[in-house]
Amino acid sequence: MPQIKYPDDLYEPPETASIRDLLEQQAWRQNPGLARRLAARVSRRLKSRKTGNRRVMHWKHRTLLSLAVILASLLIIRMEAAIAQEQTGQPIWGLLLHSDSGAYTQLAIDTDVQIDITGLIARVEITQQFSNSGSQWAEGTYRFPLPQGAAVDRMRIRVGERILEGEIQEKETARRVYQQARDNGQTATLVEQQRRNQFETRLANIGPGEAIEVTISYLQNISYSDFSYHLRIPMTFTPRWTPGRQHVDLKPAPKPQLLPASNSNDHALSLRANLASTVEFAAIESRYHDVDIQKSAHGYHIELLDPYAVADRDFELSWTAVQNTAPSASLSTYYDGESVYAQLMLAPPLEEAIVLQAREVILIIDTSGSMEGPSLSQAKAALLHALKSFGPDDRFNLMEFNSETDVLFDRSVPVNHTSLDDARRFIRGLSANGGTNMAPALKIALGLPELEGLMRQVVFITDGAVGNEADVLKMVAGDLGDSRMFTVAIGHAPNSWFMRKVAEIGRGSHVHIAKPDEVKEQMSALWGRIQVPALTDICVDWGGSAEYYPEIIPDLYAGEPLWLIARLDSEPTMIGLCGRFNDRDWDLTVNGWDVASGIPGGDNLAILWARKKIEALEDGLLFGADRELTELEITSLALDHGLLTRHTSMVAVDKTPRRSVDDTLAQSNVRGLLPAGASATLANYPSTATGWQAQLLLSLFVLLLATLMLWFSGSRLPSANLSSWSRPSPL
Amino acid sequence: MKAGLSGRRWLLAAVCCTAVSFSIHAAWMPIKAKVAQQLLERSWQKTLAGDTEAKPWPWADTRAIAVLEIPRLGLREVILEGSSGRNLAFGPTLLNNTQMERTTDRILSGHRDTHFKFLQYLETGDLLRLQTSGDTRDYRVTWLETVDSRRQQLVIEEGLERLTLLTCYPFDSPLAGGPLRWVITALPVERDTG
Repeated sequence: MPQIKYPDDLYEPPETASIRDLLEQQAWRQNPGLARRLAARVSRRLKSRKTGNRRVMHWKHRTLLSLAVILASLLIIRMEAAIAQEQTGQPIWGLLLHSDSGAYTQLAIDTDVQIDITGLIARVEITQQFSNSGSQWAEGTYRFPLPQGAAVDRMRIRVGERILEGEIQEKETARRVYQQARDNGQTATLVEQQRRNQFETRLANIGPGEAIEVTISYLQNISYSDFSYHLRIPMTFTPRWTPGRQHVDLKPAPKPQLLPASNSNDHALSLRANLASTVEFAAIESRYHDVDIQKSAHGYHIELLDPYAVADRDFELSWTAVQNTAPSASLSTYYDGESVYAQLMLAPPLEEAIVLQAREVILIIDTSGSMEGPSLSQAKAALLHALKSFGPDDRFNLMEFNSETDVLFDRSVPVNHTSLDDARRFIRGLSANGGTNMAPALKIALGLPELEGLMRQVVFITDGAVGNEADVLKMVAGDLGDSRMFTVAIGHAPNSWFMRKVAEIGRGSHVHIAKPDEVKEQMSALWGRIQVPALTDICVDWGGSAEYYPEIIPDLYAGEPLWLIARLDSEPTMIGLCGRFNDRDWDLTVNGWDVASGIPGGDNLAILWARKKIEALEDGLLFGADRELTELEITSLALDHGLLTRHTSMVAVDKTPRRSVDDTLAQSNVRGLLPAGASATLANYPSTATGWQAQLLLSLFVLLLATLMLWFSGSRLPSANLSSWSRPSPL
Repeated sequence: MKAGLSGRRWLLAAVCCTAVSFSIHAAWMPIKAKVAQQLLERSWQKTLAGDTEAKPWPWADTRAIAVLEIPRLGLREVILEGSSGRNLAFGPTLLNNTQMERTTDRILSGHRDTHFKFLQYLETGDLLRLQTSGDTRDYRVTWLETVDSRRQQLVIEEGLERLTLLTCYPFDSPLAGGPLRWVITALPVERDTG
């Protein structure tokens, strides 16, 4: 036990008092208040140790209480997690068979994949075989994972002897054909692609032991990042039996029979890919599979090396172009018997070969009320980052708009300490309030006096909806001059179409950032990109009449090639290109004889062109084109090229007439009644709970707890205080 | 000793005050939701009367663009333009950031503990009536399902006539910010069943 001094000791120092004790006594005498406080503290500590009284009880109570709180919050969180686990679950890829005896998933026996890559687009055809191993007639739901942005436009299903072939038809006709077939007792389906990354269709009347073969074909965009092209085909058919709510009517299902990948070559995968190109690639790689790469007449041929490969992982192919010191071009064409479809790729030179150009950067940010929260704070961080990306000869300006527009500098200023400080203060001071009035902001930005020898880049950041799209677009087109427009859309579903169009007219680019936490990252990429324009003011002479897209040719930036697609009357002989490269005039001639024509998958070019054309026609509607005429034109284009649009849909009808009329198809609510549109966009689910009940409950609970504690401390602690002060003060 | 004691009492008092202000803030949310609907209803009547610029309150960054009615439940909700967190506090919003007349695939989202609380009582076959400034359209609830927002995205398909109502799930979870969503799909009632 430590040596403790009570106030009594002040008069009777211990006999063996050291100098330190004496000094202490002296100090206490001089400062009685301190002495009392110290003694009280020590005595309380002692008391609680010796007797373990009320104080300990208090701690117990507290511990109990905190435990209760922790338990309660844990319970809430667990509840949420349990529900989440119950309800989530990936769709089961493959064929889900329902029969009277239950439902089970049938995995593909064999999978065959054929890929034809032409430029920035790939045609992927996948054939899968299944069999109904049950002893009863079954109804099947076929599900297949699709990559982002792919739409199935060809489909063939073989069930026993019957063949169901998907056909693109005019929407109303498709619906009629489907209904007629159904009424006749034929098997029929309408293609559904409710979710963008999932293909799903229903089949009726699969006989016991019957074989089913499903062939689907889709076009997929090639992505470009880190100087390489990438193509990823999802193929993981991991079955998980969590159908949840949608199949509550089903009887308990037998467990799906899954064979481990290693001891079966039933689930074999075969894959072939053609990569059409007139230029050499620096590297071609397959990330997850061993492949054999051969040079062919039209480019490269790629095949899986492993004959026992199984479809247990995604297939990813990436290839890298050779980079030169000057911009280069390559051309491929396809002749469909009527017209020639040509694709021209412009490749940027190495970044080292580009002389940096002085720019005038105008940053415009939307500070309307809807930007409040993470959108604005992320955008502010991105703007601060942008200030660091300016070169020494650049000039810049900043603007914000809500109901009003506010410009930082009267005219763009050089990059120096004062201007950067002003800018930083301006950015930090931004707050969200008011309406979204974007037209005046754009008008002011484009109306600022142009600076000699500087390339003007306007970066426009908003989450807003635009009502008068056509008017604003016309205004931008009229005032644009030599400026370049870059648009950044933030949020669930901003008016992406308008933003893309502004960027297209402004020869810039468009970024859509769906999640606020991605703003900073994606914007940093944008700043880096627009720093290095490689080839500007590009013009193309196709050597004859040509209908080409994009209609306004954007600039070429380091690390990102540019693609033009055109329809020509005849095979091109000479194509002339011109532009500005490193502040000098640049031109290049592409010889028509060097062209890759008749490449496998060349019809992709026609489809690609038709898609662009339809997009342009739909845009025309906003600028006052005749609706009926446009719709007619779109429908005929879509039918010619087999495209799914909002005016056409795909219907699959049994080609073989059935002998007996079966009523199993009299199913209501087949989800597949909705045709997939070509113009679908994706959006994230917003957060839709305030959680006010929880907040109210929690704060009331805390209130109760605090009041209780206040009450307890008020009634008891003074008595504890007294007990240690039974003696009168000695001083 | 006295100083320490009163310090703790002060602390407890401060906790009490914070708790009171938090409860007021929490209780304010449903009140705000109700009051905003009243103001919105007024501005909607003005919009119907032809004033396209009618704002529910002078500093608003949104406006009333439609009214959703559920005859079976006798409910009526004014729909707002612009799906931002701030607008959701005032009423259900149209997620496709554009005008109601311009889209056929209409997606409405609302808070599960205020305006879209009733979504849990909807059943397939229920009639939904959506009144826009242009016309009034009837939809019938066709599918009810839960989705996981971490795994799936919404597909907006222009050209498709459809009404989607979505809110957070589960309805009785006291915590906000869960990953699940309750999605109700309604298809237009065909004028003639041919």
